Amino acid sequence: MNALELTAVTKTFGAKVAVDDLSLSVPAGSVYGFIGPNGSGKTTALRLLMRILYPDRGAIRVLGCDVSEASLERIGYLPEERGLYRKMKLWDVLTFLGELRAGHGVDVQVQAWLERFGLAERAMARVEELSKGMSQKAQFIAAVVPRPELLVLDEPFSGLDPVNADVLREAVMELSAAGTTIVFSTHDMSAAEQLCDYVFMIQQGRKVLDGTLESIKSEYGADTIRVTGRLEEAALAGLPGVAHVAGRGHLKELRLAAGAQPQDLLARVVALGPVERLEIARPSLHDIFVRLAQPTGEPTCA
Amino acid sequence: MRKVLRLARREYVASTRTKGFLIGLLIAPFFMSGGMIAMKLTEGHVNTRDRRVAVIDRSGRLMPSIAADAASRNQREVHDAETGEKVDAAYLFEEVVPLADRKAQQLALSQRVRDGELAAFLDIGADVMAPDLQAGGGRITYHARGAALDELRRWIENVVNPHLRRLRLIAAGVEPAAVDALLHWLPVQAMGLAEMDADSGLVRAARRDHPAEAVAVPIAASLLMILMMLMGAIPLLNSVMEEKTQRIAEVLLGSISPFEFMMGKVVGGLAVSLTASAFYVLVGVVAVVYLGWADRVPFHLLPWFAAFMVLAILMVGGGLAALGAACSDAKDAQNLGLPAVFPILVPMFLLGPVMREPNSALVTWASLVPPFSPMLMMMRLGHPEGIPAWQAWVALALAAALAIVTIFAGGRVFRIAILTQGKEPRLSDLARWALRG
Repeated sequence: MNALELTAVTKTFGAKVAVDDLSLSVPAGSVYGFIGPNGSGKTTALRLLMRILYPDRGAIRVLGCDVSEASLERIGYLPEERGLYRKMKLWDVLTFLGELRAGHGVDVQVQAWLERFGLAERAMARVEELSKGMSQKAQFIAAVVPRPELLVLDEPFSGLDPVNADVLREAVMELSAAGTTIVFSTHDMSAAEQLCDYVFMIQQGRKVLDGTLESIKSEYGADTIRVTGRLEEAALAGLPGVAHVAGRGHLKELRLAAGAQPQDLLARVVALGPVERLEIARPSLHDIFVRLAQPTGEPTCA
Repeated sequence: MRKVLRLARREYVASTRTKGFLIGLLIAPFFMSGGMIAMKLTEGHVNTRDRRVAVIDRSGRLMPSIAADAASRNQREVHDAETGEKVDAAYLFEEVVPLADRKAQQLALSQRVRDGELAAFLDIGADVMAPDLQAGGGRITYHARGAALDELRRWIENVVNPHLRRLRLIAAGVEPAAVDALLHWLPVQAMGLAEMDADSGLVRAARRDHPAEAVAVPIAASLLMILMMLMGAIPLLNSVMEEKTQRIAEVLLGSISPFEFMMGKVVGGLAVSLTASAFYVLVGVVAVVYLGWADRVPFHLLPWFAAFMVLAILMVGGGLAALGAACSDAKDAQNLGLPAVFPILVPMFLLGPVMREPNSALVTWASLVPPFSPMLMMMRLGHPEGIPAWQAWVALALAAALAIVTIFAGGRVFRIAILTQGKEPRLSDLARWALRG
């Protein structure tokens, strides 16, 4: 069963087509990552799912119902632009938002989440007195109380320090393990690779990638050579059979040109200088994202 | 509905559980009636510097009377009888011999006024005893800085005319002893209508109708309505704008629809207004019962007040919540501030005509048109002259219709505008959103 189904959905703002003929199926219980460059239509797509925006064309089904009839009580939402009432106490604002959705007391769940995130002692503090990290964790709690069947997170990890990002990541994984379907957008490709069962990429409103992480990487094949060592990027780029070099410090990712043989290229790389590590690999999600977001004219699939 | 009420509860608690609300509740009536209180407080604060007036009495008949009345007044009013403290200016009159060159004399006296030597000068025409009415004769002129509003000019007018009438009657051959009776002024007393007691069958005498009582109810009703709009509806503009700019709006939209969001805000504002009005009505009732005026208070108007207030908050509050959603910053909200107070300003402009003629065509039609009808109809309903009952019902029905339209159109604007960032709200956009959604 699918928790979410979009069929030929289009949304325009004046002359700009924000979402263009988008179709998508999110299996229940999965973690689905929305990736795409800034302004590609991710947030609009999520707002359509949340009934905050209405599509111009197409159909959206959420948790088995048409989106117009879907119960918001069963969906948790963490928008990209999020805030809380600054003058309210943390406890009051979380119980208010929880009750707004649940319609009944949510004290036990709020208390449990506050304790889990180490915020129990600050429950009676005003929101304006909390640090940014605390506020972000509080906003996450607001999205997951009461526990939703579908959790929609728009850039949940943006602005978080690594420790808090890990805390939230673990919470997302836990909810997923408990059966919650999770849809989230992110620019953090490592987070997407860590968390997602499925990845969907949108660019200029159109779907350019959709599938399991495994299937997507398989589609691109083993066309990447990862090199760790003190090698000049320019030298690597000049080697025959190299279509593109992505440099990340000592680690470089070489994309093979069409028809190039990886074994030949390995020998040429070793000949350039000392190499600590060398492997033939499938492209990372980051690399796939960059290829799609900034096409070089080279073929993208093996 | 559950979500609307939950959001309204938060709004209500956030608004009323503050020191500001309690302080505002107590001091708002003083601000609203500030003009009257200020006048009362400043009543005794007058300039006690003596005022000297030169009098050119070309008739040769009035100066002695003016001087005598002034002396009497000065003795009576300038010093406090108990403390001897000077509490008012003395009016001092000096007679100036009329000169043939009237213009030159007036110029010279004007210079004395400019120099501060005189407060004013008075020029009494020679023919005031027997003015040629056809020729517009019998002029008395008062010359001073700000002569039109000068209290001294009015005092002179009130003193000179009775003397002139008295002198004219005596000159016409009336016995001086009979003059006072002839000139005795009789006021026409304002009275209510006689009524028959339903139980005893006896006719109850008409009650004296005091001007203050006649205007008290309409003014109190309109002031209370303004107060309720200021407390319950007007703040919605900024409140929604803040929720939008502080990024709270989209968090809420994850749980409730935009229409429920807007209605929650409006119902919250309405609850604040009902609380405040209940407080004022309760205090008012206790006060009038304590003062023994209970029989003069039109309690039958309370249901009308409640109904019109609810509709006013829904109409104005719904519209303002939608406008607030269209604002991206305080400047936008400031620009929309003036239209926001239109439903209050326009009825205030018509307060005078309503008091004078509550059933004139202008006032009648204006009081039927929402969003001005709640205030205007309450003024008219409270007027002693009374109005046909059907007009109040029509106004109520039209206000209810506009409230529904405002909530519906406001909901459409709200849904689109609440997510629009960095765009100044244009009238054309608002109209398009309201009409097409």
